[in-house]
Amino acid sequence: MKKNNLAVVLACAMILSFVIIEPAWAVRGVTDTEIRIGQWGPQTGPAALWGAVARGSGLYFKLINEEGGIHGRKIKYFIRDDAYQPPKTKAIAKELVEDKEVFAFASGVGTATGMAVRDYLEKNRVPWIGPAAGSVHWCYPPEEAPYLFGTYPLYCDEAFLLVNYAIDKLGKKKIAFFYQNDDYGKVGLIGAQIALERRGMEFAATVSAEPLDTDLSSHCMKLKAAKPDVVIMWVLPKHGAIMLGTAMKLGFKPLWMTTSTLSDYQPMYKISKGLFKDVVFATFGELLDSPHPLMVKYHEAQKRLEPKERWGIFYYAGILFIEPMVEAFKRCGRDLTVDTFIKAMESIKDFQGIGPKMSFGPNKRQGSRSFFIARCTEGGGAEKLTGWMTSDVDPYEVKKRLEQ
Amino acid sequence: MFLQLIVSGISIGSIYALVALAMVIIYKTSEVPNFAQGEMAMLSTFVAFMLLASFGQPFVISFAGALVFAVVLGVFLEFVFLRRAKDPNVLSLILITLGFEMMIYGVASWKWGAEQQSFPFPVSDFDIVNLGPAVVSYLNIVTLLVTLFLMFILFLFFRYTKVGIAMKATQQNMLAARINGIRANRILSITWGMSSLIGAVAGMMLAPIATLDPNLMLDPLLKGFASAVLGGMTTLVGSALGGYILGIIETLFGGYISLQFKSIVAFLIIVLVLCFKPSGLFAKHYVRRV
Repeated sequence: MKKNNLAVVLACAMILSFVIIEPAWAVRGVTDTEIRIGQWGPQTGPAALWGAVARGSGLYFKLINEEGGIHGRKIKYFIRDDAYQPPKTKAIAKELVEDKEVFAFASGVGTATGMAVRDYLEKNRVPWIGPAAGSVHWCYPPEEAPYLFGTYPLYCDEAFLLVNYAIDKLGKKKIAFFYQNDDYGKVGLIGAQIALERRGMEFAATVSAEPLDTDLSSHCMKLKAAKPDVVIMWVLPKHGAIMLGTAMKLGFKPLWMTTSTLSDYQPMYKISKGLFKDVVFATFGELLDSPHPLMVKYHEAQKRLEPKERWGIFYYAGILFIEPMVEAFKRCGRDLTVDTFIKAMESIKDFQGIGPKMSFGPNKRQGSRSFFIARCTEGGGAEKLTGWMTSDVDPYEVKKRLEQ
Repeated sequence: MFLQLIVSGISIGSIYALVALAMVIIYKTSEVPNFAQGEMAMLSTFVAFMLLASFGQPFVISFAGALVFAVVLGVFLEFVFLRRAKDPNVLSLILITLGFEMMIYGVASWKWGAEQQSFPFPVSDFDIVNLGPAVVSYLNIVTLLVTLFLMFILFLFFRYTKVGIAMKATQQNMLAARINGIRANRILSITWGMSSLIGAVAGMMLAPIATLDPNLMLDPLLKGFASAVLGGMTTLVGSALGGYILGIIETLFGGYISLQFKSIVAFLIIVLVLCFKPSGLFAKHYVRRV
């Protein structure tokens, strides 16, 4: 009997403790003093080059905390290595939502990894801002994922804008496309194809590579045989460098253009042994040495807080992709819940940090479709060739073609 | 285009041949395909890179330093891990090599990060020699010569030196070799050291073309393994020839049939060879008496 009483008392105490603790955790991941945010990103494995995104976000949160946080709340940031493997991303998302109880996810590299957890995050009403991939799968249609906001402009947009630039500004006529044989490469290919179709033109050649390929000589010879004026590359940085070297060896010298994923021009210049010079690329963020006040501020913070990190585009992309997230936190004030946060995100119009202008709305989850075009110069510098340009490619059309 | 494809096939085939040679050396003595071969080569290449870039050493010293490191690494892995395995069968030894592979990959990722590095090499891949309508770079020529030289040296080594003959004896019957006074353990260590050294040469020849990162040898390892299976896991010359044949088939396939399926040609070859001539094209079928 006594044992039973003890059990009842313990049970009551437990229930009471939950009742007492509960108000502090009324909103998952938000307390009076902190907001919990998570991010996955490949710190090891084949895509670890882009792991800098997650660390860049870390710098941004450090800076915010140093400045006193947001409305009295500091950011508690959880970064996890998924090695670019979707099963690991799933485990990370579950751990961070259910164990660490994060309020939201910031960025996160990879389309396949992101798609593996998108439905889970939506089901659990976890806001997710700025996946680090220009995929058409995130935000179209927006009602499929109301808690997801895209800030990386789409791959099809940049390919479309590059083709426009090559034809309209540079007067090029024969365009070839060298792409990675997956979603990333194909979305770029479709964007470029749409730009050509609008002018009644066709590709001079399209050649694909597999991520593990080491020797690209047959790829290069196929491209060369088509005698294009321009070759647009939609591949891994490593393949970009190998292709430039192989083309040089084979005496193939078209104008090379490439995507924002190869826009980290300093290392590209270095690993291509200078052949990246004159390569024209699309980019979604200010150039490395930009005098933009925010760029100066972030760069100074990096030198002070994370001196071992390299100041490269993927590093500060980790800031760029989530600037609207921080803006929404600011707009929420002290009343931060999932609903107020989503409303604040939807209220963002023409917001600009170090990337393109971003606007969201109740039925608009993709924040930007803009890029500018630049060129790598001697010594691994870069110069802007255009201002921000916006694409009007229909993402649904791209999705449709992708599924065919 | 045909001639250029053949030349390019021979160029990449040289790398496959080196990796195949490295695998076969270990296989010849212990019948274990070493799946850590690629990562061992990658690690040694990073050591050369570190000596060049961080310590400012000239290329010759860095190259030699990396070769010494490669030998020590091979001997270390054999001595510290493989030798400690209790009653090992081939499967457990293969698993140990897979463990090495992951371990070394982790160490390299931790130490040098994932960013691609430019590997300085004294011979240029952009200076070319014209062979009629085809071109070949100085670096490709050097790689080819180095491979042929190593093949020749290894051939002489296994045919005419005591250690080389002892290695063959160890593979054929370790117990009988021991009875005849061969220190089989020492032979195994030497084998691992030599194999690691040849792998390192492959890594350092490939890195100037493919850029250096921890994934440098992922693809060449698979292709080198396929080459060894194609040529024969027990013949040095055969496995190296397998590398050249694979390089040429692969490049021609990419040029004329399909680029998408170019990378699976190697695996198709493994399956076909194992089905129709399991000992490889150039190896004698070897039957062990029970």
